[in-house]
Amino acid sequence: MERRAYLARKLLLALITILVVVTINFVLFRVLPGDPVRSVIGRNVRISIETQMALREQFGLDKPVFPDQFLYTLGQWLRGNLGISWSLRRPVTEVLVAKLGNTLILIGLGQVLSIIFGVALGLVAGWKRKTAIDVAALTFSLIAWATPTFWLGIILLVAGSSWLGLPTGGILSPANVGKPLYTVLPDLARHLVLPTLTLTILYLGEYMLIMRSSILEVLSEDYILTAKAKGLSHWQVLRRHALKNAMLPIVTLIALNLGFTVSGAIYIETVFSYDGLGKLFQTALVKHDFPLLQGAFLLLAVSVIIANLLADILYAYLDPRVKAS
Amino acid sequence: MRTIRVISTLLLGSVLLLSACGPAATPAAPAEPGPAGATEAPAEAAEPAVLTVGWLGVPDTLNLAYAFLVESFTIFDLVYAGLTTQAPTGEYVGNLAESWTHSEDGLTWTFTLKDGITWHNGEPLTAADVAWGLNAVMTNPDGWAAVSNYVAGFSEVTAPDEKTIQIVTEYPVSNMEYRLSWIYAVYPPDFEAFTGVEDLQNFTNDAIIGAGPFKMNNFDKDARILILDAYDDYFGGRAKIDQMIFQSYDSSDAMIQALKVGEIDMVLDVPPSGFAALYEVEGVKPVRVEGSYFNELIINAVPADHDPAPNKNPALDDPEVRLAIAYCLNKQDLVSVVAQDLGAVGDTIVPPNLGGGYWHNPNIEDIPFDTVKANEILEAAGYVMGSDGVRAKGDVRLEFRLQFDPDSPIYPRMADMLTGWFAEAGIKTTPEGVDADSLYVQMTPGGDFDLVLWGWGPDPDPDFILSVMTTDQFVDGGWSDSGYMNPAYDQLYLDQQQIVDREARRDVIYEMQRMVFEDRPYIVLYYEDLLRAYRSDRFTGFIESPIGIESFQSMLQVEPVK
Repeated sequence: MERRAYLARKLLLALITILVVVTINFVLFRVLPGDPVRSVIGRNVRISIETQMALREQFGLDKPVFPDQFLYTLGQWLRGNLGISWSLRRPVTEVLVAKLGNTLILIGLGQVLSIIFGVALGLVAGWKRKTAIDVAALTFSLIAWATPTFWLGIILLVAGSSWLGLPTGGILSPANVGKPLYTVLPDLARHLVLPTLTLTILYLGEYMLIMRSSILEVLSEDYILTAKAKGLSHWQVLRRHALKNAMLPIVTLIALNLGFTVSGAIYIETVFSYDGLGKLFQTALVKHDFPLLQGAFLLLAVSVIIANLLADILYAYLDPRVKAS
Repeated sequence: MRTIRVISTLLLGSVLLLSACGPAATPAAPAEPGPAGATEAPAEAAEPAVLTVGWLGVPDTLNLAYAFLVESFTIFDLVYAGLTTQAPTGEYVGNLAESWTHSEDGLTWTFTLKDGITWHNGEPLTAADVAWGLNAVMTNPDGWAAVSNYVAGFSEVTAPDEKTIQIVTEYPVSNMEYRLSWIYAVYPPDFEAFTGVEDLQNFTNDAIIGAGPFKMNNFDKDARILILDAYDDYFGGRAKIDQMIFQSYDSSDAMIQALKVGEIDMVLDVPPSGFAALYEVEGVKPVRVEGSYFNELIINAVPADHDPAPNKNPALDDPEVRLAIAYCLNKQDLVSVVAQDLGAVGDTIVPPNLGGGYWHNPNIEDIPFDTVKANEILEAAGYVMGSDGVRAKGDVRLEFRLQFDPDSPIYPRMADMLTGWFAEAGIKTTPEGVDADSLYVQMTPGGDFDLVLWGWGPDPDPDFILSVMTTDQFVDGGWSDSGYMNPAYDQLYLDQQQIVDREARRDVIYEMQRMVFEDRPYIVLYYEDLLRAYRSDRFTGFIESPIGIESFQSMLQVEPVK
């Protein structure tokens, strides 16, 4: 019962947060300089003033922002309609779904790999503190964390395409475009290798550093000394006593990073011409495409909030103190 | 945790395994079989010749009515055909039209179609089809905004018989061939249903049907890949290659790398920074042709008494200040540093290569870079150097906003260079990046700016770039971003549109260039070279000309290296 109330409270809070974010975004996009009707008409200024006015009317831009445009947008969203992208002339939902799949594959895979390798490396480095392994892992992680995304991407792109014959960009080879996914998996995988590797290296350092410092802190606790005194093996101490406690900061980091996964990775998407949400966000912003921007930010807000909600729930499981409070 | 570990191990394993056994890409299947009558056994069938093109954009639409981006027009050039076309040498020649004549008063033009022209679906292309397209643009100019200015002055277009098109105009049109080269023949059944502006502009025409040398196979907007197949029954003879694939890149570095490793065969947007290195790559031929794109410094020229009043530093109304600004511009340095010597110093708004060099006024003597002279001019005009290094005349300080599109790869650098030169003459400029759309709205028709860096890619005929400087284009919210208003210039613009005699028209155009040069709403900085590259170890036959190695004429000649 108590857990249900806790969950209900968190859910309500999440809904309120979404509403606040949506309202703030709605206002923010409309105070941007520039005229959104230009994204509707393209840059074609040969269109007469009358037609421009008609287009304003068609997209509801002739009405006051508050309350008309705001309430209308909210009403449409409640009906599950995110509108039509002004610049792409396609339903926002359709565009978002198409790009979301691409982004989830790339960023999701990169995140999972960097979490696994980062946590493992951090664990080993912390456990083998002040050894050659620790110094090497620390140096590598610091360099990886500090490396500019664009630079690493280009280096891997040149090396991978020159020496391994991997593709330089895109998601599929032109010949495979439009074919059922299961028939083109090898090609998709070839296109994913370099961007995934870039992403993994970049995020790995962050996970490693957090995990290392966390495990070092835990290993200095009295209960670890007690566990060792009980005669438990290194592995048993690590697995039963240290790891679970050291994972807490990592869970927060994972939740935050996974939440922002849908925002894509603009630099990596740019270097590898990967058609994901990151580039879409950028394009929507440049073109003042309000429906697309609103839809994209709604998606982003919802995923960040859900990821945080999951972290809260996971915390309750990992840390008994949270449950007690 | 365990579940996550298992899933991720599987994922990693799958990626590596799948990528290791991934097959090399093969060309997309043509929409229909090869040339009729091919009798070779399948085992002997030659590998299809597929040319993969890399570019940095993607067509905004395949609907000619409102297409804006150059990528769209690159595809139109290959898929569509107009009555006329510009030849690689610069002159206009017949395309769909076999021949044409005009009446003595220059008001009636009669075009005769070539024989055997068919649409990509096999139906014959008739004079009535062509006339339908021209009438559609004339009756719905807002809907066909992308091409409507090319029918300005047309009063009637008819098709007296299957092969003849007659165009009657209100006044003699000096550049009819150029205009008609842009209004491609569209397949009427695709467009007949759309009469309103919104309807027409929501039509994306992804299954585009034309009468040009290549036909649509597939346009995947999410993958940003566009595939064209050679049209077997093209009236000008089938292309020697079988397929063209256009692949979009977001980064020019990645695209150049793709060319180097042979993933693509041709690059349409080579950045100056990466061009020289291509000479070192075996099997790659960099192509550099004199281009018409120019970069300019726009000086707010909106008259002070204009309504709404322009928001600018009033010092810009002083011709001496504008002259001093011109003396502060080291154009040669811009060419060397920004364009990496892949361009030429500019002077007038009509680039030297337009129309094969016919229209550019060679008699204009450019203002040299001389900040000492700039100081002298300002001193004489009463602008006194202040203790902070900025000149002022009374309350008017020579302090200007210098704005540009921050997404441009060149303008931020140029703004820094200009700011340094201006400082030497006591002029203070503050570089400021403003996104292109916002900046344009701020300038036209608001007139809220001082100095702006921007560029133009003029049409092959000077008419369009000359129109940019007319009063109407600013007052009505058009292409004019400087706010230049000069009734004498406006009159000359109308005159040149109606002078059918080429030489007489050229004299007028020379005079218009001189006016803009002396009044300085624009100071043309430099002309950019057209930079392309292709895999010379795989394909040959490209026509290197100012219309690009990707022109349809070039693509008809291109063939695989034997």
